[in-house]
Amino acid sequence: MKNIKTFIVLILVILLYSCEDVVNVDLEESKPRLVVEASIIWRKDTSGKDQIIKLTTTAPFFDTIIPPAKDARVEIFSESGVTYEFDEVDPGIYRNNNFNVELNATYILNIEYKNELYTATEKFKPVVQLEEITQTQNGGFNGDEYELKGYYTDPAEETNYYLFRFTFEDLSIQIYDDEFTNGNRTFAYFSKEDLEPGNEVNFEIQGISEQFYNYLYILSSQAGDSNGGPFQTQPTTVRGNIVNTTNPDNFAFGYFRLSQSDDLTYKIQ
Amino acid sequence: MRTLLSILFIFSIFTTYAQENYIINGVIKDSSSNETLYGVNILVANSNFGAVTNEYGFYSLKLPEGNHQIIISYLGYQEQTITVDLSENITLNFSLSETSESLDEVVITDDTEKLNIRKPEMSVNKLDISTIQKLPVVFGEVDVVKSLLLLPGVSNAGEGSSGFNVRGGAVDQNLILLDEATIYNSSHLFGLFSVFNPDAIKNLKLYKGGIPAKYGGRVSSVLEIFQKDGNSKEFKANGGIGLISSRILAEGPIVKDKSSFLVGGRSSYAHLFLKLTDNDNAAYFYDLNTKLTFRLDNSNSILFSGYFGRDVFNISQSFKNTYGNAVFNLRWNHVLTDNIFTNLSVIYSDYYYGLTLDFVGFNWNSGIKNLNLKYDFNHYINDNLSLDYGIQNTYYEFNPGEIEPSTATSGIINYKLTKKYAFESALYLSAEQKLTKNLSAEYGFRFSNFFRLGQSELNLYKGDQAVNFNNDFKIYENANPISTKQLSKNKVEKHFWAIEPRASLAYSLNDNESVKLSYNRMNQYLHLITNTSSPTPLDIWAPSGKYIEPQILDQVAAGYFRNLSDDKYSIEIEGFYKFIKNRIDYIDGANLIANNAIEQVILPGKARAYGLEFLFKKNTGRFTGWLSYTLSRSEQQTPGRTAVETGINDGNWYKTAYDKTHDLSLIGSYELNSRWQLNSNFIYQSGLPTTYPTGQYRFENLTIPVYSPRNSERLPAYHRLDISATYTPSKNMGRNYKSSWNFGIYNVYGRKNAVSLNFRNNEDTGNNEAVRLSLFGIIPSVTYNFKF
Repeated sequence: MKNIKTFIVLILVILLYSCEDVVNVDLEESKPRLVVEASIIWRKDTSGKDQIIKLTTTAPFFDTIIPPAKDARVEIFSESGVTYEFDEVDPGIYRNNNFNVELNATYILNIEYKNELYTATEKFKPVVQLEEITQTQNGGFNGDEYELKGYYTDPAEETNYYLFRFTFEDLSIQIYDDEFTNGNRTFAYFSKEDLEPGNEVNFEIQGISEQFYNYLYILSSQAGDSNGGPFQTQPTTVRGNIVNTTNPDNFAFGYFRLSQSDDLTYKIQ
Repeated sequence: MRTLLSILFIFSIFTTYAQENYIINGVIKDSSSNETLYGVNILVANSNFGAVTNEYGFYSLKLPEGNHQIIISYLGYQEQTITVDLSENITLNFSLSETSESLDEVVITDDTEKLNIRKPEMSVNKLDISTIQKLPVVFGEVDVVKSLLLLPGVSNAGEGSSGFNVRGGAVDQNLILLDEATIYNSSHLFGLFSVFNPDAIKNLKLYKGGIPAKYGGRVSSVLEIFQKDGNSKEFKANGGIGLISSRILAEGPIVKDKSSFLVGGRSSYAHLFLKLTDNDNAAYFYDLNTKLTFRLDNSNSILFSGYFGRDVFNISQSFKNTYGNAVFNLRWNHVLTDNIFTNLSVIYSDYYYGLTLDFVGFNWNSGIKNLNLKYDFNHYINDNLSLDYGIQNTYYEFNPGEIEPSTATSGIINYKLTKKYAFESALYLSAEQKLTKNLSAEYGFRFSNFFRLGQSELNLYKGDQAVNFNNDFKIYENANPISTKQLSKNKVEKHFWAIEPRASLAYSLNDNESVKLSYNRMNQYLHLITNTSSPTPLDIWAPSGKYIEPQILDQVAAGYFRNLSDDKYSIEIEGFYKFIKNRIDYIDGANLIANNAIEQVILPGKARAYGLEFLFKKNTGRFTGWLSYTLSRSEQQTPGRTAVETGINDGNWYKTAYDKTHDLSLIGSYELNSRWQLNSNFIYQSGLPTTYPTGQYRFENLTIPVYSPRNSERLPAYHRLDISATYTPSKNMGRNYKSSWNFGIYNVYGRKNAVSLNFRNNEDTGNNEAVRLSLFGIIPSVTYNFKF
């Protein structure tokens, strides 16, 4: 539901007699902050033991390099009392290959970086099976683009939130809730202009928490093409679930979340 | 109520004492069409007596017994003088002839927007429809609302944005009345054009401040638009063929001099060409204006008005979007006694939004409907005092949205958001009084009531707090309802009321100069729920209630007014300050579409605006035009509700999306000869406020900008020059079929004015870049107009 406005705005832009060009703008620079990408994913057909956490810092907007956050101490504590230490294997890449997944259990992330302690708490979210992918050919502006639908059945007894990752040429993500589809068999929708027979598209479904869904919702409205113009929401600084307990004002960006996932690869006929 | 009656009683005693006076009343019309004329001056020679016609062309004047010379004057029309020997109450109707068309020489007396120095009316923008029709406009589409933007104090959130902003107020704070019926969305094609067909309009008036007690319900402005009555002398038609749309309007008598009809239609037709190219997509709009007028006798008239407009977008059958307004209005004008004019109106208005998204598999519709019954009185007590009073009652039904599966296989479930109901009622009394020879005042009050009625499900929250603050993450979050309440829609859930005082004073320094002062308080009980810079057609209206307080405005304005060189020039300078309580703001990430619990994403804030307006006009001669300049600031603030909360934008004041420090328009029109007329506009405005990134980071393969405080930067300044020429062939003289051509160029020097700067990641290079979006380059246009 949340994508509708973006969609309508897109149509508006097509309709308008408009013109885009790249311009030079002098921007102020804010001070660097820690960015945490702690996405613990358990794919259904794997053991889930090998996990990676990425730490970076913010950079000036037009820079091409995102600096890694090096020399941090990264740990996850499980509800059952196990501590998983993550070692820096590459600059800013922290790894543990003995992680144990407990669905619906609570985990705590602790990071010590530049003598400040950051912490976050989240539950491991399960997800339903990705059942099948179907293909039609009447999407897009001219009605002749390939459309793919990845079907799943939403559990009726609870409120669910989903993150879909589509891999074709590059990665794109979409989020879904079950407000208007609760308990039904429904689908995630993917269409791209240059899809053609023989192309392979990977669909991945992940279970996420309501709070992470809301976070991604704000984030996706700030990223990419969708900011600016009369029909856009006001841009804002988006806070995730990472709290700096040493110095709360020096907060970190990013999120700690744990999701079960399932995926299917489809070849266009 | 009792006070009102006693006041009326006192006034009626007052009247009985002045016994040797008699009343002249009547209606003043245009001689060629019988169209009633609004704002005509009725003067009595060698005296201070005078009157002005109301919006239905009616006047009433009380004079001593004896001989009087009465002068009827209205700019653009020939003056009439008549001598009466008054020995009883009489009715005198007048028909005025236009000056220009009957004479061989071009006589330029094109201004009915003359400044009235003595009247305690200020902060009003008036535009004559003939002025509007001359202005150069984009695609040659004459646009009522866009023309208003050329006057001081009126702006919008950039090209292609919908609605308009008055004195730093929001789009939803304008009361837009078409023949007294509320129009909820004034834009076609997301804001490219306004919904008013210029051919069907008689005149319009925008109140920016000093708003009379008669109006209420919106805090920023009142835009009053009157449709033509229709020609009751002879059948006439006119129309135009333009680049985007064409229009046709027919009017004529049903019974000559007694009753008339008017039917006008307008439609865009670009989609027809798309069809030819085998393209399934369509984007078009149309609207229909109708009016029936029956003059039963000198004391009674019945008027019926209707408007219906729709925008339609279809994209390859999978996306269908339709929206628009429909209104109708039945009015009875009745002269109760010789000095009391009344108007009873029954008005229905409706805004509908519908959407079908086939690839997601659902239909969606939302809207607002209201039924309004009002009874207004104009009571002319004596030459020094007249009263306006009346009652207004409005019943609202809000449909925040219904969703249903569009196909049998759709995974969408039927879902109806809870409908809401409300009843608004107001009683007003306003006096216009000459206090001394030089000082006059208009003062009064409006007693407004708003009853939020019961609904099938109303969420209840712990501590009535629908939004929680998460102190760990420093973000606002939805609260979960602890229970729901069910109440019949015949019961009152919450009642608000207010006494809204209004006052304005005019002190004339001499015959050509005056100073004016005004104060008004207004309450607004409806809110447009929108968190984008400019509203979209799918935004919904929400009533005040348990979780939304009414917006309350206080505004003061002061001004200096002067006519120069026999009214050839005029100067208006005004300053204003306004403050609005309970302006809604939205938490970050607020999702407003299909949200059944809007209260979970809004926070109460406040807004303020202040500024200085300057208008210099040249009213007569071959060259006419004006210079308008506004210096202003419009801001909003949403502080935290407690000390730990951050509020929005860290609780700091921030500029609204439509704040423009400088706003200058220069408009000129030159009558070259009887065939050619040249027009031009130059506009210069400060860039709109915007937010720039100050950094970036990567998360889940997304490039996320880190932003500066809200609206702390500005886009580059906006300026452009437009020119147009109107050609009226000389063969028009002395024949029935008259035509004219309008040629225009919008944005002559092709400035790429930025509508927005988008900061994004280029998919091909992987680098971030700033992209300027500009809408209209150089746009030539041609329009052919005809009438017969």
